[in-house]
Amino acid sequence: MSTAQQPGAAGPVAHVRARSGGPLPLGPGAPAPAGMIRLTWPDSTGQALPVWPDGVTPALLEEYQVAPAPVERAGETRRVLAAVLKCCWTDLSVDPWPGSPAPVELVLDTYRALIGRTDDLMRNWAVGALRRLHDSAWVVVDDGVVVLGPRCALWPVEAHAQLQELVRRLPSPDRAELTVVGDADIVAAAMPTRSAVPAASAESTVPTASAESIASAGSAASTESAVSVMPAPSTGSTRSAPAVSARPAESAGSTVPTASVESAVPTAFAEAVASAPSAESAAPAESAVSASAVVGGGRVEGGGAGFDDLLGAYDERRRAELVAAYMVVEHAAEPVQEVRFAALRDPALRHTLSEMLARRGRVLVQYRDRWISGYDDVCAATPGASGRDEAAAASLPPAGPAGAAGLTGSAGPAAGAGGEGSVGGGRLGVAERAVLTLVLVHSVAIPRAEGLLPEDSWLSPHPTPADELRRHTQLPIGELEAALRTLRHAGLLAQVKAGEEAGGYVPGPQFHRLTPSARRRLQEELILAAGPNTPLAAAVRARRSAR
Amino acid sequence: MSEQPLTLDAVLTDEAVLSTYRRMFAALARDSGAVVDDPVLVDIAETLFAAFAEAGEEWLTHEQMRFACRAYPGEQFDNRLRVLKGLGAIREVFPKPNQLRYRASFTSVVGLMFIRRMMDDGGQSEMHRLLALEDLNVADPRTTMEEARQSAVNLARAFRLWALELITLTTGTIEELREQAPKLWGTEEIARRAQGLHGTILTRWPELDRVCTDLRAAIYAYSDASRRAAGRLADSAGTTRNLTLLPTETWRTFSQTASKERLAAVLDGFVFDAPAPWHDPAAVARAVDEAPRPAPAQPTPPRSTLPDPGPSDSLDTSPGAAVERLREMAESLLGGSARVALADVLGPDWVTARRVLADLTSIDLRPELPYRLTWSDELSVDPGREPAWLSRGHLERTR
Repeated sequence: MSTAQQPGAAGPVAHVRARSGGPLPLGPGAPAPAGMIRLTWPDSTGQALPVWPDGVTPALLEEYQVAPAPVERAGETRRVLAAVLKCCWTDLSVDPWPGSPAPVELVLDTYRALIGRTDDLMRNWAVGALRRLHDSAWVVVDDGVVVLGPRCALWPVEAHAQLQELVRRLPSPDRAELTVVGDADIVAAAMPTRSAVPAASAESTVPTASAESIASAGSAASTESAVSVMPAPSTGSTRSAPAVSARPAESAGSTVPTASVESAVPTAFAEAVASAPSAESAAPAESAVSASAVVGGGRVEGGGAGFDDLLGAYDERRRAELVAAYMVVEHAAEPVQEVRFAALRDPALRHTLSEMLARRGRVLVQYRDRWISGYDDVCAATPGASGRDEAAAASLPPAGPAGAAGLTGSAGPAAGAGGEGSVGGGRLGVAERAVLTLVLVHSVAIPRAEGLLPEDSWLSPHPTPADELRRHTQLPIGELEAALRTLRHAGLLAQVKAGEEAGGYVPGPQFHRLTPSARRRLQEELILAAGPNTPLAAAVRARRSAR
Repeated sequence: MSEQPLTLDAVLTDEAVLSTYRRMFAALARDSGAVVDDPVLVDIAETLFAAFAEAGEEWLTHEQMRFACRAYPGEQFDNRLRVLKGLGAIREVFPKPNQLRYRASFTSVVGLMFIRRMMDDGGQSEMHRLLALEDLNVADPRTTMEEARQSAVNLARAFRLWALELITLTTGTIEELREQAPKLWGTEEIARRAQGLHGTILTRWPELDRVCTDLRAAIYAYSDASRRAAGRLADSAGTTRNLTLLPTETWRTFSQTASKERLAAVLDGFVFDAPAPWHDPAAVARAVDEAPRPAPAQPTPPRSTLPDPGPSDSLDTSPGAAVERLREMAESLLGGSARVALADVLGPDWVTARRVLADLTSIDLRPELPYRLTWSDELSVDPGREPAWLSRGHLERTR
């Protein structure tokens, strides 16, 4: 694609960061790396998310009957997501993302109406599902308010009709007329607390308990904003409401991130943006927003997968085979058999596939006649040099008066978890890594030392008993439970259930994705940590220093 | 020893030492002249010793010994017993002919323990103990220079032999190296301890510097050989076998004692995927459709909104009403006579007849009413009639 910037080696590293740490925060005006869409906020900061070639989604795996990475409590999680969608997607005539904020309680009520249960257990489950959705950037929960997360922008346009139909048939909760605090007030109260906003948004006189009034927030206070698009009366309570959502035109028109997108907006949205000064307004937008203009919601910009030069040479069938193989190795839970995919079988196609993966900082990992993808060792080892810069630049939006005040929460966990911008470790905190190490020792190292595990693999049929983790380690029990939850959700651990006592945790499907050299490095690190004084550790150190 | 004069005492001492040696290796001997070639044979000896320990002063007879070793084939047991007896590990309780009870030798048991330990760790812990003991010895003010020299020479010899064996292994086949090396190579602790010992000797007896140089060279040679063996193994073992080279206990100790930070440091440089499940619109819609519905409450049947007491008022609820009704019925059936045949009063319609019969039965059961039913044994059968089976009876007035 004709992305404006030629990223060079930065592209793959950025993709590694996005895969390991979630949506990439982007500084004001910073373009999205190649192969990503840019979710732009009115202050021109944004987030970047990788997109897939030829408009496919991981749902493609279902067509090929390949199991994707398991989703924890999938049904429940998706029902809660549906409830969030019902609450946040208030204007069905525009794209679901970014939607408008809604209080958590409204989401819980909607979920309750959906499943018809009102007990505390249901509530706990729903809150757990919300946390998982937040961790995976599908929703952003912040201070009692929920908004749709960046990943919702990846739903293909063709599927929006299905989602609209879903939202229409979801029952609305019957809430008591007399709520102490109106929904919109909750939203209004939650939003400014996050960001240091001038008192411009103080007059929150919201009449009805509808979030719609927020959606029309293109307030008079921010008339200098170039992106003010809704000719709304200035009853708005806060500047954090999404007012317009421009979709990335499928036509090749708007691929340059900073270009105006309004020009490509389909006619369905034309009246919504009719009053907007269209093409010429986009250019001043950058300068205007720097003056802390606060208005409206985000836009989706750019977004080609960036494989056209590789795929263009192939006919339609080969191209489809390549895309299928790409999606499968990237998203399958386990290595897939090469006989099932032409692009894995045929060395020439496989070469192209590796080139596609290389642009994402990935390599093919082979297990005899099965394949999966993993992080390229070079990219993974890049000590986030570019990553740290971007993270520093992007550390502005959470503090800045972005319309994204609540939404930057999605970048928050990544930084808050101690990842601090570096590629290494992704978003795993100290406790998570410690627990993972313990499981690797008990499930892999010890069985191997006893000769029970011959394979060169970090997966294991020998579960680490939860009791062993609880009682015989130096980890506080509270941290342990939270870490186990996070690791399970990320597919780094799998829970094995067997009766009352037996069962426990084994390394999860992500360990299929370690390259041979990563597997070796993991082994060496374990030896260095467990037996630093052994001749074996000395040999490891000697070899490393020789390199 | 040969230069000493051959006295009876000397012969006795020699014999004692020899018998100790023999007893110590009795468990390993295949026959009186060789060492076992099958580990099971050692297991038999161990089983026997355990049985002896349990038997206490009862000792054991041949049959009891055989019973203790019932898991092993008879001929192997006989062979073992013969060897153990021949070498004195198992002896008669009293040295008399035709002795039936046997006892076990303490030395053999201790020897066996030692041998087992040597087999487990290749003598590493023995070396640790030895070094610790020697350390105490040379620090003892009573130790003479000659004794220190002897101990240094012995240690140097042990280290040299140890290193030589490792070097031989390092140049040999990788399988053999993998099998043997982890038992032979030393930890840094052993080398450190040996150097400490060396330092102590050298400070206390500077004139032993020549012996100490030898010892030092031997220690270095050993450390070097250890490192080389580990390096070759680490290179060749690839990604599967290296973890086997640390013993299980090391892993357990690590997992139980390491701090959170030390554990986490292992995964410092690794990149894992953030959780990014895909929630496809179709899947979301499906999940909503499959939501567990609460069981709907059972609908109550429709009821009229008007009050409806039913036919309750048509029933005479006064206390004597039922008795009076029955009396009237009996009188109407009797029609003034004292006795009527049931066949005459019931009529052909069974549906009404059975109602009448039911009333008659309750009349009969009420002692306050002066009517009784009497049944005869006759039974008339007529397939054409209804009821087809009819027993004969009469209703009578009793007063």
